[in-house]
Amino acid sequence: MNYTKKLLAETGLEPERLEMFFLSSAEGVRFAEIATEMTERARKLGPNPLKNGKAIEQPMEAEE
Amino acid sequence: MSEFEPQVLAFACHYCAYAAADLAGSMRLSYPPNVKVLHLPCTGKVDVLYLLRAFEKGADAVFVAG
Amino acid sequence: MIVAEQKPLEEIKSMIADARKVLVLGCGTCVTVCFAGGEKEVSILASQLRMATRLDGQEKEIRELTVQRQCEYEYNELAADHVRDADMVISLACGIGVQTMNEQYPEKLTVPGLNTSGLSQPTEQGVWEERCQACGNCVLHLTGGLCPVARCAKSLLNGPCGGSQRGICEVYAERETPCVWDQIYHRLKDLGQLDKLLEIEPAKNWHTSRDGGQRKIVREDLRL
Ligand code: SF4
Ligand code: SF4
Repeated sequence: MNYTKKLLAETGLEPERLEMFFLSSAEGVRFAEIATEMTERARKLGPNPLKNGKAIEQPMEAEE
Repeated sequence: MSEFEPQVLAFACHYCAYAAADLAGSMRLSYPPNVKVLHLPCTGKVDVLYLLRAFEKGADAVFVAG
Repeated sequence: MIVAEQKPLEEIKSMIADARKVLVLGCGTCVTVCFAGGEKEVSILASQLRMATRLDGQEKEIRELTVQRQCEYEYNELAADHVRDADMVISLACGIGVQTMNEQYPEKLTVPGLNTSGLSQPTEQGVWEERCQACGNCVLHLTGGLCPVARCAKSLLNGPCGGSQRGICEVYAERETPCVWDQIYHRLKDLGQLDKLLEIEPAKNWHTSRDGGQRKIVREDLRL
């Protein structure tokens, strides 16, 4: 997780856009909280700068 | 696009977080519709590349829950 | 095995500044097992470059491919179409792979994405320690199987020097590198061969190593 955050930072994206949470199957409330938190975080950070244009509409590349 | 609606991706473990998300649903808890939950057999399946691809394809935030 | 580390992303970006279509070419042998230039590392770097160049407003087309062994023509032939299609190639192989590619495809520049950093042993998960410097005249039989050329900071052949402190080498002492001559002593003692240390090893002929210029092995029996 930290490694991927480092990769994001190196690339030029905010590492805060990524997070890991631990929770059990009984924590429905916690899940809703986390979902809200991450949505709020994204709202604060603004749109992913990679999103502009048609770029994201492209299908996954074939060589994958 | 005047109102920015973030796209959030959740990688969830089948046994923990996905079940929790399920529970959140059956408890009628509301959480933002911006979150799309992806179901994995285990969070051990998450790979750096899944996360990078998600951002590459334009996700505004990503979280892994297990 | 040959081990390598990836160069910083900024350095790689500056190398490909003028290219539009770039091929990231991995190698499936040494650098795959040391997690520096295999299929996975190729995908990660390609993904990073796609994002980073788009963020810089000069989006590039980044392709990915990994060949079995980049230091041999036969394997690189499989990459011919991809290479032809690209403006530039970033090689995630050791320096041998990079040079093989440049020789084989002289019309395309292949740049190094890795720093080749030694002949090392993976001593624990995620750790590689240098073991050999390919000196061309192995002395491991005299030193209890521990290489003083690669592992002694001064490449002494009659060690240890006076800087050996409680088994730790005095050079960059903060790294706490074990003094290999201390280790050699203990190994020979365990083997009951301490008498070997009484013999003075004469100055090494470094001509078999780098001092003799580029080395070349020719095996007449194997040539066609
Ligand atoms: S003595 Fe020379 S060949 Fe032998 S391990 Fe050391 S560097 Fe390598
Ligand atoms: S302390 Fe040991 S390893 Fe370090 S330079 Fe001296 S002999 Fe070599």
